[in-house]
Amino acid sequence: MDASTFQHILNGFTVAIQPINLWYTFVGVFLGTIVGVLPGIGPSASIALLIPITFGMNPTSALIMMCGIYYGTKYGGSTTAILIRTPGEAASVMTSIDGYEMAKKGRAGAALAVSAIGSFIAGTLGVIGLTIFAVPLASMALKFGPAEYFTLMLFAMTAVSTLTGKSAAKGMLATLLGLMIATIGIDLQSGQARYTMGIPEFQDGVGFVVVVVGLFAVAEVLRGLESVFKGTAPDAMKISGKLWLTKQEWLRSIGPIWRGGVIGFIIGVLPGAGGTIASIMSYTTEKRLSKMPDEFGKGSIEGVAGPEAANNSDTAGAMVPLLTLGIPGGGATAVLMGAFIMYGIQPGPMLFQNRPDLVWGLINSMYIGNIMLLILNLPLIGLFVRLLYIPPGILYPLIISISLIGAYGINGSPTDLYLILFFGVVGYVFDKVDIPVAPLVLSLVLGGMMEQSFRQAMTISGGNLQIFFGSAITMTLVIMSVISILIPFILPKLKQYKEEGKDE
Amino acid sequence: MADRIIFVCILVLAGVYFWATSHIATLEIGDPLGPKAFPRLLGVGLLITAAMLLGEMIRDRKTVKQPAAPAAADTGNPAVVVMAVVITLIFFLAFETLGYLLSVSIYLLVMTNIFNKKGRWLVNSLTAVIYGVGSYYAFTQLLGVNLPAGILPF
Repeated sequence: MDASTFQHILNGFTVAIQPINLWYTFVGVFLGTIVGVLPGIGPSASIALLIPITFGMNPTSALIMMCGIYYGTKYGGSTTAILIRTPGEAASVMTSIDGYEMAKKGRAGAALAVSAIGSFIAGTLGVIGLTIFAVPLASMALKFGPAEYFTLMLFAMTAVSTLTGKSAAKGMLATLLGLMIATIGIDLQSGQARYTMGIPEFQDGVGFVVVVVGLFAVAEVLRGLESVFKGTAPDAMKISGKLWLTKQEWLRSIGPIWRGGVIGFIIGVLPGAGGTIASIMSYTTEKRLSKMPDEFGKGSIEGVAGPEAANNSDTAGAMVPLLTLGIPGGGATAVLMGAFIMYGIQPGPMLFQNRPDLVWGLINSMYIGNIMLLILNLPLIGLFVRLLYIPPGILYPLIISISLIGAYGINGSPTDLYLILFFGVVGYVFDKVDIPVAPLVLSLVLGGMMEQSFRQAMTISGGNLQIFFGSAITMTLVIMSVISILIPFILPKLKQYKEEGKDE
Repeated sequence: MADRIIFVCILVLAGVYFWATSHIATLEIGDPLGPKAFPRLLGVGLLITAAMLLGEMIRDRKTVKQPAAPAAADTGNPAVVVMAVVITLIFFLAFETLGYLLSVSIYLLVMTNIFNKKGRWLVNSLTAVIYGVGSYYAFTQLLGVNLPAGILPF
C-alpha cells in the first residue's frame, strides 16, 4: 500500500465521521435493521424505494445510507429467524434452525447475542478485507478493455444464473429477460428506438427502480397476503434469558465466528453465490468440525454463530467487485449499483482515482455502521422485536403504498405504477415456478454496459469475435463462464459417484 | 407441467423477439455492428436456454420419480392474490384523479379490513387515516416528493 492510498484511507475517515454522514450511516443501519426484522421486504426493494426519495441528496451521504441498509438487514434478519423461525432475510435461513431451537430452550437471549456479536466481528473483518483488497483489484481492473469487461460480465451473469436458483436453465432465462428489458428504449449509439411497443414512456427504457420494486416489494406482498389469508403467519417468541453469553458459549462460538467470517468474505467476493450459500457453507463446515454434530438442528450455538458471521462478512465481500470492478455479483449489490448510477456515479476502478473521498468515506462508514448495529441489535433489540407484532394484514398494504411513492416519485408517471404491479405479478408467478429474480435484476443493471462493451470490442477488432479469446484474462473468464454453466450438470453426477462410493 | 409451459413461453418469446429485432429501423451510419446484433445474440441465448430446460426436464424425469407428495402443501391461494391485484390496480388507476391522500386512505381502509380481520376496524381506520395524512405531509413537505393533490384542495 503506497503513501497516497494510505492518505486516501485516512481522508475517508474524516468523510465518514462528518456529522451529516454519521447521521446517514445511522439512518441506513437503523432502516436496515427494521427491514431485516420485517419478513416480506428486503434490502433490494428498500434501497430501490429510497432512490427517488433521496434524490437531490449529496451522493456520498445517500450511498452511505443505502449501503447501511444493505449490511444492516443481515443483523435484523437473524432476530426474526430466532424468534419466529422465519428468516427475516433469505440469508438467515440457517439461523432459523438452531436459533429457534435455542429460543425454545430458553436461550433466545444467547442466540440473539451471539448473532449480533458474530455479525459484528465478521462484518468488521469483512470491511478490513475490503480495505486491503480494494486497491490491488482496482488497479488490475484499470487495464481492462471492453473485451475484458464483456467477458467479466458474462462470467458474473452465468455464475449468478446457475447458482441462485434450483435450475440453471431458469436462471439463464431470468438473466436473458433482464438483458432484453435493458434493450428496451432508444439505442444510444444509433439513436433508434427498440422494442418500445409504441409506448412513449418506453423510449427512455424501463426504469430499473420499478422493476426492482415490483419484483421484490410487490411480489413479496402478494405472497405475504396469501399466507395471511391462510392464517400461517406464526407468533413471535418472547426473548428469554440474558442478552449475553456464558463463558462456555463464548468459547464454543469464537471459532465458528472466525471461520464463518472468512468463508463469507470469500463467497461474497465471488459472483453468484451470496449470503445464503455462505451461511449454508459455514453451517456444514461447523457441523463437520464439531465434536457433537448431533447437536446441530437441536439448538447448537455453533450453528448460529458461524452462519450469522458468514452472511455478514459476505456483504463486505460483495462490495469488493462492485466498488473495484464496477460489476456486482448478486441481486442486492446490483440494486446498489443502480443507485450509484442514478447519482451519476460509475462504480469501478476509475472511482478510486477520481473520487477517493467517496469510495473511502463509504468503506470507512461501514466500520462505524457495524458498531452502531451492534448497539442497535443488542441493548436495543427489544424495540425492533415489537415490529414483529405489527399485524401483517396492515403491514403489507402499507408496503404497497410506500412502493407507490417510490415508483411515482421518479417521473410522476402513472405508467410506472402499472409497471410495478405488472412486475409484482411476474415476481409472484416466477417464485411459484422457481424462476429466480436476482439474475434478472443483475442483468438489467448491467445490460446497457454489456452491450456497449460488446459493440466497442467488436469495433476494435473489426467485427472479429476472436477478440473475446484474445488475452489471458478474457480466456480465463470465458472458460470460467463455461464451467459455471456446466457445473449444475456435472455436480449431481459427481455427488452420485461419491455416494455410490460410500455405499460400498 | 409448469416447466413445459415455460419451455413453450421461451420459444414464443424468442420468436417474437427475433421478429421485433428484424423490424428495428437501421441506418448505414454509426457503429458497424448496429442496434440489432446484441439483441440477436440474446435471441440465440433464449434458444440455448430452451434447450437447457429441455435437458433438465429429461434429466429430472429420469431421477426424481418418488417424492411427489409434499409439493401439494404449498398450492397457494390464487383467488386472494387476484383480489389483491385487482384492488391495487383500481387504486393505481384512481390515484391521480383522487389524489394521494384520499386514494391511499381508501386503499388502506379496504385492504386492512380484508386482510386484518383479527384487528378491530377502529385500528384499521386509524392506521389508514393517520398513515395517509402523515405520509402525505412527510413526503410532500419534508422530503419534497411530488404527489398529486387530486380533488382535494390541499
